[in-house]
Amino acid sequence: MTKKSTRLVPMAGMVILLAGPLQVATVAAAEGASAVAEGKAISFKRSKGNCLACHMIEGGESPGNVGPPLIAMKARYPDKAKLRAQIFDATAFNPDSAMVPFGKHRILTEDEIDKVTEYIWTL
Amino acid sequence: MPASQVIERICLEKRHIMKKTLIKMGALFLAGGVALAAQAATPEEDRTAFTNHYKFRFPDVPMEEYPNGAYAIDKIGRENWEAIEEFPPYEPFIDEGQEMWETPFANGKTYKDCFSDGPGIKSQYPRWDKKQGMVITMALAINQCREANGEKALKYKKGPIVPLMSYMAFESRGQITNVVIPEDDPRAMAAYESGKKFYFTRRGQLNFSCATCHVQNTGLKVRTEVLSPSLGHTTHWPVYRSKWGTAGTLHRRFTGCNRNIRAKPMKAQGEQYRNLEYFLTYLSNGLTLNGPGARK
Amino acid sequence: MRTKRLLSVLLLAVTFVAGTGVTLAADAKAENPKAVKAQMEIDKADKARKKAASVESEWTTTGKLIKKAQAALKKGDYDTATRLAKQAGEQGEIAYEQGASQKELRMPSYLKY
Repeated sequence: MTKKSTRLVPMAGMVILLAGPLQVATVAAAEGASAVAEGKAISFKRSKGNCLACHMIEGGESPGNVGPPLIAMKARYPDKAKLRAQIFDATAFNPDSAMVPFGKHRILTEDEIDKVTEYIWTL
Repeated sequence: MPASQVIERICLEKRHIMKKTLIKMGALFLAGGVALAAQAATPEEDRTAFTNHYKFRFPDVPMEEYPNGAYAIDKIGRENWEAIEEFPPYEPFIDEGQEMWETPFANGKTYKDCFSDGPGIKSQYPRWDKKQGMVITMALAINQCREANGEKALKYKKGPIVPLMSYMAFESRGQITNVVIPEDDPRAMAAYESGKKFYFTRRGQLNFSCATCHVQNTGLKVRTEVLSPSLGHTTHWPVYRSKWGTAGTLHRRFTGCNRNIRAKPMKAQGEQYRNLEYFLTYLSNGLTLNGPGARK
Repeated sequence: MRTKRLLSVLLLAVTFVAGTGVTLAADAKAENPKAVKAQMEIDKADKARKKAASVESEWTTTGKLIKKAQAALKKGDYDTATRLAKQAGEQGEIAYEQGASQKELRMPSYLKY
């Protein structure tokens, strides 16, 4: 009995040790997934991001073509921060950019821009 | 002339021009820091730049197509438009306008007493009025005529002014846009420049200028809407717009455009929009008037 | 005689104005400080909106926010009023900057001369 329990304790400990980070990882993954989902909703909403007004996005209806199609975003923006900055204020990089400065002009909040960035980066 | 001499001459000329330019620039700077690059272009240079821009982008579209707006460049939209034009929705407005034109004011006089060349006088507007020191549009001239005859001024975006202008536009079909900026009054050029400044200024929460859509991205689509070229923007007003479910004026459209980009509109027939109309109509010089029109 | 009457009228007027001022100030003090703060933010926002309008750069969104803030204040929802007014004020400042930074016409590079 004692023998058994002594063997069990470290095992239980290991399970906890394993489950701990696993649990955190799942929570983080869930949060990430919900950020992406929320980001998508904001991106598609006409009164918010309205990305489809100008950009083709897979699965989005009647997109415009003033801006480039949103594909291969990770290849185009290896640095996620650069993508965020582009969404925040594209005119900072090119004064003639037609892109709406979503952050600079307070069309989206900082949090909304984070989520939109998360979503767009998955495309 | 040997090549070396040619080069030397070119260099000399260049130096001469540079010297001249520097002097000019200095003078301008002293004159109060007027925007140098912006003021450099003459109206005719502006018009040429716009024309070349669209020609380059739409090499297959002949100039005489531009009065048809987006339908000059949008094949799918054009089919619908041509079907609509079979039974023009603006026709009742023309008839109503004719009646207005022919009905005497309370004092017995008519519009004809103000506009002896009327009703087909659209190509005379907008014009610079030296006496009043401002751009006079046809809408403004109509109301000045009414007020001079003891009648109330009409509203500028919708209402009875629309049929009246529709009739006058219809009677002006075939005339050629010919905006003149008289050289004997520097205020006329200032009005043109102010209209141009308005056109290129980014405004509203969406941060667009007129040029963002109608120069930079002409022919591309916002959702399913093809962005129209600015050449031809002024030839076909008033317009029956399906979205409005009625006909309206150019200044109503200005208002709507500004609202779309979340910029507070200016006053219809106020100085800014009149100057914008002056600049915009100048760009269409040489294009045929084809109002009233129908648009989606 | 006449001057005396005029003087007494003036005196009365001054007393009245001063009196109203005192009552108003007292009212404000008695009022919820949150309400005072909200009203202050609304006034600030409207000033910013007008500043943007002065360079022909006002946004349609700013006036709407101010109206919403005023409605919230009326309802006694001071936090919402303050939050909306702050947003409006920020918009007014950004819109002013947008207009002021384009005081001189800058031709875009995409139109070639």
